[in-house]
Amino acid sequence: MANTETALKEALASIEGATGVALVDYTSGMALGTMGGSKGFDLNVAAAGNTDVVRAKMRTMEHLGLKGQIEDILISLSDQYHLIRLISGRGGNGLFLYLVLDAKRSNLAMARHQLRAIEADLEV
Amino acid sequence: MAAAQDAILEELRRLRARVPQLTGALAADADGLVLAQDTPGVDPEAVAALTGTTRALAAQLADVTGQGDLRELLVRGVYGYVATYAAGAGAVVTLLAQDRVNVGRLHLEGRRAGARIAELVDSAAAEPTETITKAPAKPAPARARAARTSRAKPVDARAAATAPTAARTTTES
Repeated sequence: MANTETALKEALASIEGATGVALVDYTSGMALGTMGGSKGFDLNVAAAGNTDVVRAKMRTMEHLGLKGQIEDILISLSDQYHLIRLISGRGGNGLFLYLVLDAKRSNLAMARHQLRAIEADLEV
Repeated sequence: MAAAQDAILEELRRLRARVPQLTGALAADADGLVLAQDTPGVDPEAVAALTGTTRALAAQLADVTGQGDLRELLVRGVYGYVATYAAGAGAVVTLLAQDRVNVGRLHLEGRRAGARIAELVDSAAAEPTETITKAPAKPAPARARAARTSRAKPVDARAAATAPTAARTTTES
């Protein structure tokens, strides 16, 4: 089991091409922890904005009558991938991991697999 | 100041358009008087006056605990939030929001609005002395003050009645 800081560190260090990562509470839109990012990329702004993304998707699924759970959401930009992974179980309800990848340096399938493993090991 | 008030009101309207869960927004000066307001269904003068009082208390709390000048004040009731952000010399922006608001976004937008309104307030204060000396002579502030004191009692009673239901009060500075 890894705590928030360890999990964020591991995501940033072990996932190829990762440039920023955050653990976000989407009931409030605030980040419980952030790592990486830069002056021009404020992870707290990303946390608030992507909370709206997650909430919108959940509302849409509710309107469509879909019963499944969101596992992850992928947003692909021209030079970046943004991966949102919702945390399930063990008091992690209402949280998601947000990962920013440099598209040129990353392997999307591997990153997704590694993020799933980090999520499974995370104890909030 | 009138031009500044229009600009502040414009800023509050933009803020409400950007964050749909906002139910009201107002800017108040250091004396707890309304500079601009967009708070349908809520008495802006009462909110401004209470904001002034609460702000003074919160600033004292921040100071006593060594947290420096007050930056913001967040009150959460059962049905939503009241968030106050410092906006330059004594002025504040107070936002009312539904409970389901994205608090992260509320803070981001509230801080930005605070900074922009601070600029507007400061530039209005820096205007030629003519307008400043005129301002106290205007009947409008006096009326606002009178209205505030006359309404202060029922508001206090309401505040006292709802106070125990407020789930959480935090002060950030």
